[in-house]
Amino acid sequence: MANKPKVAIYWLGACAGCDEAIVDLNEAILQVVETVEIVLWPLAMDFKYDRIEAMGDEEITLSILTGSVRNSDHEEMARLLRKKSKLVLAFGACACFGGTAGLANFKTREDIFNWVYRDAPTVVNPETKFPQTETRINGKILTLPEFYDHVYTLNQIIDVDFYLPGCPPPPDLIANAVNAVVSGDLPPKGSTLAPRSALCDTCSRNKKKPSRMEIRQIKRIHEVEADPDSCFLAQGIICLGPATRSGCGETCIKTNIPCRGCFGPPPGVVGAGPKYLSALTSLIKAETDEDIREIIDSIDDPAGYFYRFTEPTSILGRKMPGKQMEE
Amino acid sequence: MPKKITINPITRLEGHGKIEIFLNDQGQVEDAFWQVTELRGFERFCLGRPAEEMTRIVPNICGVCPSAHHMAATKALDALYGVEPTPTAKLIRQLEFNAFYVEDHYIHFFFLAAPDFVVGPDADPSERNILGVLGKVGMEIGSKVIEVRKRNREIIKLIFSKAPHPEGGLPGGVPRAITEEERKWIKATTDYSVEFAQLALQIFKDLVLGNKAYLDMILSDAYSLKTYYMSLVDENNKVTFYDGKVRVIDPNGNEYALFDPKDYIEHIGEWVEPWTYIKLNFLRKLGWKGLVEGDETSLYRVAPLARLNVADGMATPLAQKEYEQMFDTLGGKPAHHTLAMHWARLICALQAAEHNQIIANDPLLTSKDIRNMNLKLQKVGVGCVEAPRGTLFHHYETDDRGILTKVNLIVATQNNAAPICLSVKKAAQEFIKGTEVREGLLNRVEMAFRAYDPCLSCATHALPGRIPLSVNIRDKEGKVLKTISRL
Amino acid sequence: MEKYNPKLVCFSCKFGWGYLTEEPALASKINSWIPVVCSGKIDTSHILKAFRAGADGVLILGCSEGHCHYQDGNVQTKKKVFLLQKVLETFGIEPQRVEIRFSLDPEGKSMPHLLNKMKENLIKLGPVKRL
Repeated sequence: MANKPKVAIYWLGACAGCDEAIVDLNEAILQVVETVEIVLWPLAMDFKYDRIEAMGDEEITLSILTGSVRNSDHEEMARLLRKKSKLVLAFGACACFGGTAGLANFKTREDIFNWVYRDAPTVVNPETKFPQTETRINGKILTLPEFYDHVYTLNQIIDVDFYLPGCPPPPDLIANAVNAVVSGDLPPKGSTLAPRSALCDTCSRNKKKPSRMEIRQIKRIHEVEADPDSCFLAQGIICLGPATRSGCGETCIKTNIPCRGCFGPPPGVVGAGPKYLSALTSLIKAETDEDIREIIDSIDDPAGYFYRFTEPTSILGRKMPGKQMEE
Repeated sequence: MPKKITINPITRLEGHGKIEIFLNDQGQVEDAFWQVTELRGFERFCLGRPAEEMTRIVPNICGVCPSAHHMAATKALDALYGVEPTPTAKLIRQLEFNAFYVEDHYIHFFFLAAPDFVVGPDADPSERNILGVLGKVGMEIGSKVIEVRKRNREIIKLIFSKAPHPEGGLPGGVPRAITEEERKWIKATTDYSVEFAQLALQIFKDLVLGNKAYLDMILSDAYSLKTYYMSLVDENNKVTFYDGKVRVIDPNGNEYALFDPKDYIEHIGEWVEPWTYIKLNFLRKLGWKGLVEGDETSLYRVAPLARLNVADGMATPLAQKEYEQMFDTLGGKPAHHTLAMHWARLICALQAAEHNQIIANDPLLTSKDIRNMNLKLQKVGVGCVEAPRGTLFHHYETDDRGILTKVNLIVATQNNAAPICLSVKKAAQEFIKGTEVREGLLNRVEMAFRAYDPCLSCATHALPGRIPLSVNIRDKEGKVLKTISRL
Repeated sequence: MEKYNPKLVCFSCKFGWGYLTEEPALASKINSWIPVVCSGKIDTSHILKAFRAGADGVLILGCSEGHCHYQDGNVQTKKKVFLLQKVLETFGIEPQRVEIRFSLDPEGKSMPHLLNKMKENLIKLGPVKRL
């Protein structure tokens, strides 16, 4: 036991889908458990925080952190695990780029609270009470963590060694990552443990892509019966493939739904949003200003597509991130 | 001297939360609070997004039950676009949903719950997990647990792309047809699942019911709570998952309400307390009566035991037999024994497996008629499914272009939030005496919420979701005397 | 109280704007002027970075239609700008804060005027609220 590398698996602002993805290693998870000692995994194990607090600095070989950072609890745990770990892996789209919940950065905390606790049609709140960080009931004090008015990526809060994107990351890349750590055969710090190509380069529909692509009309996925073999963009359907890293296994494409970019941008691109915007507009075929406007106006909610998983990494994020993820 | 115990974080559940237990001068539990410590904001940040994208966004509310949100969203889109899915699309959706029920109920039972029964509530915490369970039941059964989960998640992946976060349900249909080639392995999987479902129940009977101490624990007052119950039922008032009407029974088992899901606002109220981010649901027409059980309560429970209490029976034959046996053992309906949720869960998984066996053999399954394109935007749509953790509502409103202007979600675990608070308090009152508390007794407090299989990311979909559980023991002034925290 | 003086970043194509004037002379009249080899070279991220760095508005000056030295770089950028304006709205940045104009002005005489006109509009909008 003593010589096995220690591994912590912990969720921050997460949904547990990443934890399920680890369980999806199936039989292989048993081998993993043979080779490492899991010291923390709230979904599946009863280990306590005090166990981590009692550990020496860098005693944990690897901390696998999932989720974005949204409140004071998340930040504290991220910092604690960073201190106790040699390596930190940002696991999944939320830890890497903020994830879907990062879209909340388009809204204020106040807007969210007002709807959830006051205005939703099912709410019955005659005294307009809102959750408080501290509440006293007959002298008893109850506390809640403080919500930040912003969703952060992990590397905006702590130093991150490696990134594994995806919502969630696929089993083959998870297995590769764990093997790399166990064997010590590690790429340079800051690496993303996924292929370097763009999704379009590996997409099975690429073969049927017309040599010169032109979009004259944008179509929404529910309005059409999408051809199961042709390039979505060639059909006028928004697909984030051109600005997304490959490695997901193209499961969405295979079930005939377009990519939404959960793997984030390919290497060397800062921000998937602007990259995709440029790629899409270059395909739009229109002569006059009016025609251009008409096509562009038919793209509802472009920010919601282009930043589906990456809003907190955006150049325009409301709060200045400490640094941008380079690769 | 009055004290307080904190359990932080709670473990073997989905999300972040904590328990605060307050003791009086005699060392008895005066009060206990189950707090959910996070919130996410989905209802707001989905506004302005095209409605059809909801089947790709809401699965991210929860990685454990994404299929439930995905299906509720898909059905809300049907209603929003006034379209009836084709018969084949319905079959494919149900095949996926049942496969999800099977894998989800087993991950809860074997990974999250069984450690308490199979390894034991007092076992060393480092053993009290799935590995401990596999150690006890042996690798032969263990590999079947892994296999049944893997194979059912392959069905989810085939139909909707991924197992965590299925995506792409469309109004009036599904994005992809099923081939005869695929039917072959799907059939094999459903046969395997029915067999496994029976084995799982046998394991439960042997290891849990066969142990008098456990049976006594299930039947004990500490783990009992008298409330109303809510679930979807089919046209014969049988248990159903994909579609149906909402039925509510009172604490004595009489039908209190039967309504169309689109009328949920009339029946469900959400109460706000400042000490938790989760909203506490109650039966709106009865009014909020506080955290009380019994005939005077306006609280209701959902999830497996509620389903069996509410329905007149199961929809499939093998599950029906198990249903009858369960209520015989528990002493009739409705059963208020919270820990019987585990038993009911295994019976629901059996029904899902049996139903999928029927679907897998249906000639219509492989038809190419998977989309009804006759869409007429209604601008309002409510979708409801009986999720593994209880009745789930998605309510969307849009403008003329189908862009979302209003989103309201009533999430399964939220229905159970107030009862969980009560169950935790009751268990604490039974097991905690004074501040010198054995870890195993704290675990018994956690078992009270674990039975509900709560999903706190879901429940706090309203902002980023998590429930670490810690228990603080405090004095009356609120000074923390002892914190017992777990991850 | 100090008068609000909006910060404006101006990208202009060297083939259409101010190429007959000494760059330093023109630059002295235009703060934050970035001449580029073609308006088509302006990437979306350049515009976003300008806002991130504190700009209140971005003005892009390209060659008139049909006169792009590189075929259609100007039109490509126009499409980007139109779509970017929609994206910026979601971030709480008014679409009028990015302007694109196509014309030909080898001496760059009209440039200070165009800038001032846009500044007037920016003064009406006030500082960017969301950043």
